[in-house]
Amino acid sequence: MKAQSKLYFYLTISALLLVILAIVALYIGVYDFNGVSPFTVLSQFIKGDPNLALSDKYVIWDVRASRIIMAILVGSMLAVSGTTLQGLFKNPLATGEAIGLTSGATLLAAIAIVLGGHFKQYLPEMVQFSLVGISAFVGALLAMMLVYRISTSAGKTNVVMMLLSGVAITSIGFSITGFLIYISKDEQLRDLTFWNMGSLAGATWTKNIVLTVVLIISYTILLPKGKALNAMMLGEKDAQHLGINVERLKKQIVIITSLMVGTCVAFSGTIGFVGLIVPYILRLLFKSNYVFILPLSAVLGSILLLIADTFSRSIVAPSELPIGILTSLIGGPIFIAILIKFKKSL
Amino acid sequence: MKKFILAASVLVAVYSCKKEEGAKKEDSTEVSSETPKSNNKIVTLNGGITEIVSALGHEKEIVGTDVTSTYPESLKATAKDLGHVRSMTIEPIMAVSPTLILASDKDINPDLMGKIKSSGIKTEVFKQEFTVDGTKKLIAEVAKAIGNTEYQKLNDKIDADLKQVQPIAKKPKVLFIYARGNMLMVSGTKTPMDALIGLAGGENAVKDFEDFKPLTPEAVVKANPDVLFFFSSGLQGAGGNEGALKMPGVSQTNAGKNKKIIAMDGGLVSGFGPRLGEAAVGLNKLLIESTK
Repeated sequence: MKAQSKLYFYLTISALLLVILAIVALYIGVYDFNGVSPFTVLSQFIKGDPNLALSDKYVIWDVRASRIIMAILVGSMLAVSGTTLQGLFKNPLATGEAIGLTSGATLLAAIAIVLGGHFKQYLPEMVQFSLVGISAFVGALLAMMLVYRISTSAGKTNVVMMLLSGVAITSIGFSITGFLIYISKDEQLRDLTFWNMGSLAGATWTKNIVLTVVLIISYTILLPKGKALNAMMLGEKDAQHLGINVERLKKQIVIITSLMVGTCVAFSGTIGFVGLIVPYILRLLFKSNYVFILPLSAVLGSILLLIADTFSRSIVAPSELPIGILTSLIGGPIFIAILIKFKKSL
Repeated sequence: MKKFILAASVLVAVYSCKKEEGAKKEDSTEVSSETPKSNNKIVTLNGGITEIVSALGHEKEIVGTDVTSTYPESLKATAKDLGHVRSMTIEPIMAVSPTLILASDKDINPDLMGKIKSSGIKTEVFKQEFTVDGTKKLIAEVAKAIGNTEYQKLNDKIDADLKQVQPIAKKPKVLFIYARGNMLMVSGTKTPMDALIGLAGGENAVKDFEDFKPLTPEAVVKANPDVLFFFSSGLQGAGGNEGALKMPGVSQTNAGKNKKIIAMDGGLVSGFGPRLGEAAVGLNKLLIESTK
């Protein structure tokens, strides 16, 4: 029970921090609301104030707020996917990027972008809009299944095999994506660049609704799995003895992390490092207790990505830095600082 | 974490200072002698369109442009550079409070286009064709969008300029090389350079693909151009004429053997706006010189 209240305490603190950061982010941007504070404009918007200028309304709601929410959703899912993958593979190096998930998603998304034009017009509009998203999910799922197949034998996952198959998938994906870049037209090329660097500039409420639905479905299944993942640390046989349905748990993790990573890649391109750094920080603070680090990674991921995105759209205003550069830039020093601090206990 | 909040609040502070500076600057520009023709605040997202709006006498109404809008140079002082249309985002556009956005259908990214459409700001997207008639049509359409009826003189000027292009007996084969950093691309068909080379009495050395493709030594040798054609900025970046002659395959071509390298301003070549005639005459002169 004590552990429970400790968890709630940390969750509350980090959620509060996230809210504060979201409000700060609302204030940052190049658009000027004629001296009125963005927070006032937002509350006017929510109250439905008729005197609010159209462009003010648009910038506060459709540009800034939607982007902040997207950063929160994507960051959270990337971090949780990293955490659960590390639990599944029992290895802190397992992340979406390392095992080829991101690459698989990017590859199929790229195929949809470059070749989709040939058959896109025959599809209903709803499918057209989500073609790239669906492709990204399928790509992530295929990569995941392949890696798991290659690296797991007799119920044991060989970590070296896992990382090597990730490298193989990434290089296959990279080469085919490279070929697509070569045959693509200028405008498609730009879309591909976005896939490789990541950006939240395309945030819309429609995308946020899709992301929210995916997040709710995923978290309903994954977040209560902390105890099960702790048991998995002992090895699959022991976990089985403790009454955990290991096969089912593995299947769930495989499908849901693919769904989360695929959806995030589909809407925001490749944003690396979040799935590695967030669980790592938490593991240093709470050891490998998944009951703690699973829910906390959901909030910390949001915090990290929200900070990164706010910097990305303000450092070189009016243009932007690709957010992938920033997640590494922000994550790296924190990572090193924590390593130094915990050097003795590592 | 405290540090982050601190950093964020510093950022906010820096921003508010920046904004005040911006506001002050705006005040000083409004004292200029020319007054805008209308109350339009225009954002132009294409070099050619920017030139058309300016040539029609509405330069003072332009509040923001993209990175390709390099002419007229006086815009630098009065309009905000919003960067590249590929990486541009909506908020900086909204920040200059435009009443009208003019863009070409060529290079804008779909996400940004969607955002511009939903922002409720009046937006005109023009189809840009790299032909004389296409340019005239674009001029007429842009004029209509900004409520100007005096565009005929621009079209007449293009025709008058084009009449000065002198035919070249033996059409030189011209290879356009787009040099950006370490990336060397050559221009195929359906590009502004291809069209301009044709108008100036030359012929594009590459006919077997559209758009731009990375330069390969074999392809250069196979195309065997008589003249290499660059953007001035690109040629400078590639190390001038000497750098160009060292490019893979170039030494084996007529252009390399005779050291025939020409360069023109990028905005002038690819704009396909009111200065189209000038650009064609300029390139025509360079080609005549290089075939002597």
